[in-house]
Amino acid sequence: MSFTPAYSTAFDPEQLELLKALLPMDDITPEWAWGGATGRGVKVAVVDSGVDADHPVIAGRIAGYTAITVSSTDELSYDDAPHEDASGHGTACAGIILDIAPDCELYSVRVMGKMGGKGAALVAGIRWVIDHGIHVANLSLGTTKRFFFGELHALTDEAYFNHVTLVTAANNFPIPSFPCEYASVVSVGSHATNDPFLYYYNPAPPTEFGAFGIDVPCAWKGGGISKVTGNSVAAPHITGIVARILEKHPSLTVFQVKAILRALAANVARSAA
Amino acid sequence: MATVEASVSGNPDDVRFAASLREALGVAETAGAIGARVTHAELLQMIVATAVHVLRARAGALLLVDEDTEELVFEVAVGGSADEVKQFRVPVGHGIAGQVAVTGQPLAVSGAAEDPRAATDIADRVGYRPESILCVPLFYDDEVIGVLELLDKESGTSFTAEDIGSLSLFANQAAVAIEHSRVRSSLAALLRDVLGGGLDRTLESDASAFATRVSEDPTSRDALALAQLVPEIANAGEREAQACRTILEAFVGYLRTRRQ
Repeated sequence: MSFTPAYSTAFDPEQLELLKALLPMDDITPEWAWGGATGRGVKVAVVDSGVDADHPVIAGRIAGYTAITVSSTDELSYDDAPHEDASGHGTACAGIILDIAPDCELYSVRVMGKMGGKGAALVAGIRWVIDHGIHVANLSLGTTKRFFFGELHALTDEAYFNHVTLVTAANNFPIPSFPCEYASVVSVGSHATNDPFLYYYNPAPPTEFGAFGIDVPCAWKGGGISKVTGNSVAAPHITGIVARILEKHPSLTVFQVKAILRALAANVARSAA
Repeated sequence: MATVEASVSGNPDDVRFAASLREALGVAETAGAIGARVTHAELLQMIVATAVHVLRARAGALLLVDEDTEELVFEVAVGGSADEVKQFRVPVGHGIAGQVAVTGQPLAVSGAAEDPRAATDIADRVGYRPESILCVPLFYDDEVIGVLELLDKESGTSFTAEDIGSLSLFANQAAVAIEHSRVRSSLAALLRDVLGGGLDRTLESDASAFATRVSEDPTSRDALALAQLVPEIANAGEREAQACRTILEAFVGYLRTRRQ
């Protein structure tokens, strides 16, 4: 009787799955990656302050809601009734995503609002994303509280292993913030060129990508358009692009998504094929 | 971190800003430490006024987090109709200030006047609707203790990414001063409670006399200048504080052996 070390049955010759190859990196083009896609069939979550469905830019395109609150005794509650945006921030992120991937299934996961924004709500929000089959989630928020380091780390790893792409805004401060510093997420900083599909790759992580995040015209609470500057409006550009990529290539893992994003970054040289 | 520091060191205005801020906060901290009359409220006022002045904003406000109620408490306003400002509270997570307090992420929003609801909380209190808002968190010990918000540049332009970098750096230093001052304030209040009102005046005049003596004595002045460096090193980080301690301990150890 042969002995198989733990975690190794998947590599038994009789168990091995034959998987399709992606294109060679040099052959990857924007057209191949996301050309003609609109995010159709891709579930996208905006884990934020809520989304104002009445905003003209959003135009009611919310597939579902959940508002997560944490009581004073640390009990979680979930409300799936339509909710408002507590600050304008979630609407801004949703507007950017819908601009890039207009047919995606967008879910508003509200983890901050009139009842505050505890780290426990953020943890519950990511848990909800994993449990509800979301393909890509936008996390333009984080926590600096060390208390949540381990729990968030385990949770984002779980998302990674379930092929859920978590796109986070890089922290703007020189202090540790989670989950944007984990390897399991796609962390995004800002550049100032007004082009939603233009982004750069940073070879010195944890912030791996830079997208349009300075003076970005955004849908804001109340129906208007405001110009917003911050990494939190850069991240949704990458979220929208990932939604389009996942429509065309639905079975990608997170590391494949990152590799495709890197291959198409504006500062990555490509062969003159 | 590199981005913020690079942008600050690359811009003479920002360098000046950081330097004048460090100086102002240093004076306030030291004055507070020797019992001079820089109250907690005055320190907050000074922080907002310095930020408004150096970034040439029309108005500014500072809100601190009340952890018990999960609210932001409006403490100070400068500019606009600031004198009429009454203390008020906004739930953490609500509005631009509440958003920044929750996420710990600075945010600059322009075209805010088109969006009354987003700006109402702060703008109404300072008497006008801003066109642009810059809001940064105040971090202490990895926690957001409040937010600092500036309204409109005097030039009429929007706040820039460089402004975010400068104000964030400023906020880091301000947060440390606020926390130190808060501890001192509560210690003073505790002392007053314990000792009763009668002794308060004596304590204060003693402190004041001490401050005068210190300012007139060159040796004490040097000692104070030295003491002022320590919190700055400690705030730079654990490793820096450790390095400073190692060096000082070695030097003091040497001095002790020399005395023997």
